[in-house]
Amino acid sequence: MKKWIAVLFFSLIFVVQGCSKEPFQPINQHQSFVASVNILEPSIVYLDSKGEEIATWRFDKAYTGATLIPYDRILLYGHQLHEVDIYELSTGKKIKSIETGIGTTNAYYDKEAHRFFLSNSEKNTVTSFDDKGKKLGELSLVNYPLSMAGYQGKLYVVNYKAPVLSVIDMETMTLLEEWPIDKSSSGLLIVEETNSLWVGGHGTGSRPNQTVKVLDLESGKLTKEIQVSIMPVGFSKCGDEVYVTNHGSNELFACNVNGDVLWNVEVGANPFAVEHFNEKVVVAGFDDHKIYFIFEGEILNMIETDHGPFQLLVREV
Amino acid sequence: MKKLSTKIWILIVAYLGLTIAFMYVFADFLYEQLYVEDTKESMIEIGEKLQSMYRGGKVTDEYVESVENINTYSNFNVFAVRNPRELSACVPFEIDYNALIGPDERRILLKGEAVSKIGYEERFQRQVVSVIMPLTDQERLEGIIYIYYPLAKITELAKLEVLTFIGGAILFALILAIFVYKSLQRIMRPLNDLQFAVEQISEGDYGTRVKVVSKDEIGKLSEAFNNMAEAIQREDENQKTFLATVSHELRTPISYIKGYSEAIQNRYVEGKERDEAMNLILREASRMERLTNELLQLVRKESQNIELVPIVLSETIREAVKLLESIAREKNISIQLSLDENIIVQGDEEKLKQIFINVIENAIRYSNKDCNITVRSELSKSDAIIEIQDYGIGIPAEDLPHVTERFFRVNKARSRFDGGAGLGLSIVEKLVKQHNGSLSIESKVGEGTLVTITIPILEE
Repeated sequence: MKKWIAVLFFSLIFVVQGCSKEPFQPINQHQSFVASVNILEPSIVYLDSKGEEIATWRFDKAYTGATLIPYDRILLYGHQLHEVDIYELSTGKKIKSIETGIGTTNAYYDKEAHRFFLSNSEKNTVTSFDDKGKKLGELSLVNYPLSMAGYQGKLYVVNYKAPVLSVIDMETMTLLEEWPIDKSSSGLLIVEETNSLWVGGHGTGSRPNQTVKVLDLESGKLTKEIQVSIMPVGFSKCGDEVYVTNHGSNELFACNVNGDVLWNVEVGANPFAVEHFNEKVVVAGFDDHKIYFIFEGEILNMIETDHGPFQLLVREV
Repeated sequence: MKKLSTKIWILIVAYLGLTIAFMYVFADFLYEQLYVEDTKESMIEIGEKLQSMYRGGKVTDEYVESVENINTYSNFNVFAVRNPRELSACVPFEIDYNALIGPDERRILLKGEAVSKIGYEERFQRQVVSVIMPLTDQERLEGIIYIYYPLAKITELAKLEVLTFIGGAILFALILAIFVYKSLQRIMRPLNDLQFAVEQISEGDYGTRVKVVSKDEIGKLSEAFNNMAEAIQREDENQKTFLATVSHELRTPISYIKGYSEAIQNRYVEGKERDEAMNLILREASRMERLTNELLQLVRKESQNIELVPIVLSETIREAVKLLESIAREKNISIQLSLDENIIVQGDEEKLKQIFINVIENAIRYSNKDCNITVRSELSKSDAIIEIQDYGIGIPAEDLPHVTERFFRVNKARSRFDGGAGLGLSIVEKLVKQHNGSLSIESKVGEGTLVTITIPILEE
C-alpha cells in the first residue's frame, strides 16, 4: 500500500514537473564547450575544455541528433518525432518547434548561407529553412538522405540506401548533379585545400568498408581511396589534419589533407563521432559511453557520459 | 438417454485421455527443461573455455582458427565472428543487412553476458538452440563465439521415442478402456437385474426376487428390494384374503335374507313361521349393518389421527360396563370392577370406551352362563394397566397370535350365533396403538382369558 502511495506521489511530481516545463540548466554565452548527444537515454552532456561537466540536459523525447545554430541555439531532431525543437542555450528554454513529420535523419547548418537543412528518410527529402526557422524550399532525393555537407552554395547529400550522392543548389533547392558512391555511405567532409569531398561508409552486406573515398568537388570523380581501418564514418578537420573514426575497429586515424595517414590510435568502443576542440581531438565511444580527449595521438583523459553518445557538437567562443 | 455405465465409462476414458495429455505436456516440458537446458549448459561450458583462450585486443586469425578447430571433436557447431557488420555495430544507423546478432543482443553481450536462444535462425535456415558468448576487451565487443546445435537433431533423436510413446499411450488407453468397460459391465450387472426385477414387480409379478451376490451398496440395495418385494407380496395376499372374507361374511346374511324373503313372497311360510322368518331377516340385516359399521370403523382407524385429551379412566370403564349390562344379565354374568379412581389417561373418550366395550363384550360372549368377569385397573409407573379377566372357553394356544387379525375367529365354523365377524379385537388393537398403548392376551382353553391393556397416563 505504501509502495503505491510512493509511486502515485512520484508520478504526480513527474506530471507536475512535465507540465511546468522547467527550463534546462543555462549555458553561458561565452562558454566554449563540446557536447555529446546521447541517444540511448536521450540527453546532452556539455563539457568544458578541461573535460569538466558544465551541464546535462536530459530529455523525455526520443531525440536522435542535434546541431548548433547561431546565435546561442541548438536544434534537436528525432527519427520518430513529428517535429524538431529549437532551444536557447543561454536560457535552457525551448523557443520553437517546427512540424516536420517523422523520419528526420539529419540537420545541417550552413554558416555561409545562414540556413539549415533537414533530411527526411520517410519522405526522402531535404528541406531548407532560414535561421529563424521559416521553411524555404524542399527537394525530393533518391532514398534515405542522411549525411550533409555544404560548400560555396552547394549542398552535398548522401543517399544512405542508394549508391547516389546528390548535389543541390542551396538557394534554389534544385538538383545539380548525382554522383555514384557506395551504398550505406555515411560521413562527409569537404577539404578545401585539395578541392575534394571525402566520403565514409559502413560497407554493404557482410563486407565492411575499409576506405575513405575522395571525390573531386567539381566533377564528383573518385580521385583516391584512403586505406583506413574498418567502417570510417566520422570526420573532423583541424588545420591541415583530418581525423577519421573507424567505428568497426575502434580506431582514430589522422591524415593530412592529401590523405596520407599520419598516425592512428585505438580509442573508445564503437566510436561514431569525432570533433576537434581546444586543439584536442575529441572522440565519443558509443558502446562504452565515454568521451576521449586526444592530443597528438595520445589519449589525455576520458570522461564518462550518458548512454549512447552518438554525436559531438563543438562551440568555441 | 445414455446408460449410467456408459456415462461412467466415458468419464473414466476422458480422465485417462486427460492424464495422457498431461503426461505428454509434462514430458515435453521435461525435455525442454532438461535436454535443451543441458545442451545449453554444455554449450556455455565450451564457450567459457574458448573465452578463456581469448587474450584481449583484436580477435586474431589464429584464434578464429582455433575456435573452428573445436568443430572437429565437438557435437556443436562453433565459430568465432569479429566482423562488426555481423555484430550490429552500425546500429543506430539503419542496417539493410540481417546481422548475426541484433542490437538488443549486442547490448547484453557488451555487458559480458552470454545470450542463449531457441528458435528459427534465418542464417542457418533451421530451428536451432544457440549460445553466443562475447569476446570483450575494455568494453569493446571485439567478437563473439557462436555455438549452435540444430533443434531438429534433438527432435529427430527423440522422434522414435515420441512415436513409441504415442503408440504405447494409445494402445494402453485402448486396453484400459476395454478393461474398464468390462469391469463396469460386471459391477453394473446387479443393478441391471434390479431394474429388471422392479419392472417385473410393477407389472404385478410380486414373486420376483433378485440374487444377492455381494455385501456392498448394491448388495444391500438388492436385499432391501427383496424385503420390499416380500412386504408387497404379503400385503397383496392379505388384501385378497380380506376381500374374500368380506365377501364371504356378506354373502351368508344376504343369502339368508334372499331365501326368507322369497319364501315370504311366495307364501311358503305363513303365520308363526312367517314371523320367525321376518325375525331372521331382521337379525341378518342387523348383522350386516354391524359388519359394515365395523369395517368402516376399521378403515377409518387406519387413516385417522386422533386427538388425545385427559380422561378419568374409571369413568369410561364404568360407562362401557353399563352399556353391556343387559347382555351380561341375559347370561347371568356378573362384572366385578376393581378400579383405581385416580388414574387419568391421555385418550379419546369414545375410542377408549369402544376398546372396553369390544373386549368386555368378547368376555361375555365367550363366557359360560353364571360366570364372573373381573375388570381391574391399576397404576404402574407411567402407564395405566387395565385387566379384563373372564373364566370362559379360552383360546387355543395356536390361535392366540392370530386373534387380532381381521376376520379371524377361533370358531372356524363361523357360526352366526356365537358373535361378530372377527373384527372386534382388530379394532381394539388399532385403537390401543393410536393411544400409544399395548395389548396382550393370555388364555388357556377351558379356563378363561386375561386381556391386558396398557395406556400411558397423563404426566404432570
